[in-house]
Amino acid sequence: MRPWLLIALLPSAFAQPGGALGTPASIARGDKLFAQGCSVGYCHGAGGSAARSPRLRGRSFERDYLIRVIRNGIPNTAMPAWGDRLTDADINDLSDYIQSLANAPVNVAASPATEAAATPATEKPVDTPDEHRRGRDLFFDLTRESRCSVCHRLNGYGSIVGPDITKVSGLKVTDGPQVLRYGRPRSVRTFVLKDGDRFAAVSVERTASFTRAYDLSATPPVLRNLLNTDVQSIQRQSNWRHGNAVRGYSLEDLQSIWNYVRYAAAKK
Amino acid sequence: MHRLLALFATAVLLPAQDGATRENWPHYGGQTSAWRYSALDQVNASNVNRLTPVWTFQTGDSDGGLQATPIVVDGVMYLSTSHNRIYAIDAVTGGELWSYHFPLPKGFTIFYGPWNRGVAVADGRVFLGTLDNHVVALDAKNGRELWKVNVEDANQCGCNITAAPLVVKGKVVVGVTGGDSAHRGYVNAFDAKTGRHLWRFWTIPGPGEKGHETWTGDSWKFGGGATWMTGSYDAELNLTYWSVGNPAADFWGGNRKGDNLYTDSVVALDLDTGKLKWHHQQVPHDVWDWDTAYENVLLDLPVNGRTRKLLLNVNKGGYTFVVDRANGEFVAAWPLVNNLNWITGVGPKGELLGRNEPVVGKSKVICPSIGGGRSWNQGAWSPKTGMFYSTGIEWCEDVVAVPETPKEGQVYFGGTFKLTHKPLKGDAGGHLGAYDPISGKRAWIYNYKYPLLASVLATAGDLVFTGDADGFFFALDAKSGRKLWSFQTGSGHRGSSITYAVKGRQYVATPTGWGSAVSGLLPQLWPETERLRSGSAVFVFALPEPSK
Repeated sequence: MRPWLLIALLPSAFAQPGGALGTPASIARGDKLFAQGCSVGYCHGAGGSAARSPRLRGRSFERDYLIRVIRNGIPNTAMPAWGDRLTDADINDLSDYIQSLANAPVNVAASPATEAAATPATEKPVDTPDEHRRGRDLFFDLTRESRCSVCHRLNGYGSIVGPDITKVSGLKVTDGPQVLRYGRPRSVRTFVLKDGDRFAAVSVERTASFTRAYDLSATPPVLRNLLNTDVQSIQRQSNWRHGNAVRGYSLEDLQSIWNYVRYAAAKK
Repeated sequence: MHRLLALFATAVLLPAQDGATRENWPHYGGQTSAWRYSALDQVNASNVNRLTPVWTFQTGDSDGGLQATPIVVDGVMYLSTSHNRIYAIDAVTGGELWSYHFPLPKGFTIFYGPWNRGVAVADGRVFLGTLDNHVVALDAKNGRELWKVNVEDANQCGCNITAAPLVVKGKVVVGVTGGDSAHRGYVNAFDAKTGRHLWRFWTIPGPGEKGHETWTGDSWKFGGGATWMTGSYDAELNLTYWSVGNPAADFWGGNRKGDNLYTDSVVALDLDTGKLKWHHQQVPHDVWDWDTAYENVLLDLPVNGRTRKLLLNVNKGGYTFVVDRANGEFVAAWPLVNNLNWITGVGPKGELLGRNEPVVGKSKVICPSIGGGRSWNQGAWSPKTGMFYSTGIEWCEDVVAVPETPKEGQVYFGGTFKLTHKPLKGDAGGHLGAYDPISGKRAWIYNYKYPLLASVLATAGDLVFTGDADGFFFALDAKSGRKLWSFQTGSGHRGSSITYAVKGRQYVATPTGWGSAVSGLLPQLWPETERLRSGSAVFVFALPEPSK
């Protein structure tokens, strides 16, 4: 048998019933990551001893399954996808640690509390270049009730009230901040209801019996489901300006945002 | 006819402030004063042993159990379940009238569990907060969606809505989860008719606002302060009272030096503007995850010979705080549990004495455990007996504080804990007690081997109802604590029972279905509880109808 073949077979040859494959060092690293991200809060509990989420101690898991679940999460449950927060090496260490628990006693009473790492879990490098960080932070700034992402979705975050701004033709122009302030989106209409309510809105769906439209008169916009019998008229003109939505930003802010959006569009 | 009269007889005897429910159970806590007390007395201590099931409703979704408080208005029960489902049910027959489902985006990660704790119903509309942070309004007649609004992108903020909204005077007031994430909490109000946003109260003041100085650096942006349970409302003062949860990170406060206002506080907000009228902070600079999160019970009682408008709030740390709800002035504080070592006591002005804080890198025993001296399941106030009925939990934890860097919307806990330590006094377990609301003097106690995690219901029939982890729903004598009746519903209790009446017949309804974050902690102390079965159903009981 050639040496390289022997090496390739080693892990399975030494595999324990629970499938523990890790080295003491990788298990220790996994332990720290687990304490930081998995046992915390109300999730898997200290040492995987169960809390709101299932017990991991004393259970066997296929390695492929563990890696897949850690990386992709389980949709529509509390198990998040860690693939964009942890490196492949981290996920391997975590899997080593969880597999090392396969034969551990279910009750953790005997072991002392785990000391978690004092450093945060490894982060993948943020891909926004420094020059566009300011624009990105302003776009998604949760401390502002009125911010771009209340209406626009970008890179998987934000709402879908407004159009995909990376595809807006106006992005080609350079006087972006002026457009953001004075632009008059053509899709905005004036809705007049029979009860006298009158508001700017963007229509989403119109059937024989109802009309669904985003009411733009407040932030965040409200998706209203109106019976057509309650609607007096829908007028093409509107006083609504994009500036209504970006009032909280300075011209300098808008310039940064504009540059960031152009960057994001070009990257797409 | 005489039967109806008997039903309402006690109403006359009630004091001026009336927070009792009658035919309807219109709000999360009964009325907006959160008494969880009904003036109905057809079912009472003398006949409760004849209480019989009349219908049951299976929701079909037992993920996370059933944690809701059903709402009953004019013979229709509105029930929310896990995964954003609502059922309208005929409150007499149990038949389904309509159902509604708010689907989650594909691949969505549900933070803080899939459960929902209730809807609000007012002016012919039903209001729901969703797992992906929307507020939705439906037509109460048919479940047709009227409007919905996305409060914040749940994926970005790591927050969502699990509590029932509070709806009064055409305003939908809604809180938010996120206290264990790097997130900044708030309370929002929306117009009930149009969904338009009316105001937001940030639970952590921003730059330039009073209280901002109680945070260091950028910590205010990620400081938690969730409002994850439903608020109360006083119509006379036009104030809505909300409990603000723990600061984040939960166990480590090294980068948020200061009192961290308004976390661990009760805030009184003007209903019309959302402006802060007063606040009372129970735990400045919390490092134990003690949330001031639970119900605010509004009650009028004499203090030193003068009747005062009071507010009672059980803190997760096991202390009950009583303040004047007109101005926030501290009145009293008393412990709900025996195992309590994070402070040595509360001083005459409400100040905490002898703080015992978790330490970085070193395990320390803290009592009660993170699950709380009580969980969020609510107590009940009976003006008839003058007692506040509440569950309590005896348990401790080993905790280690860990410095942590916040990442927006992600878990920000600052420590690890284990519920392995034996209690310092007696055995671990739960109890239900009857307390004088101001002195905390206990009239009686009912002990149970595990924590009791269902809300308490008190009635003018001198009854106190709740349910246990084993699946028993039971009634105690409100005056003595003696068990008078019980019924096995097939799964443990984590929701809130209610009572209502239709056409002169009183019904008692309880959700059943074991689940939730805190129930998930139990196996750390009681391994056998891992096998407790989940479920999700409502059981409804009444006295047998007289034979015709």
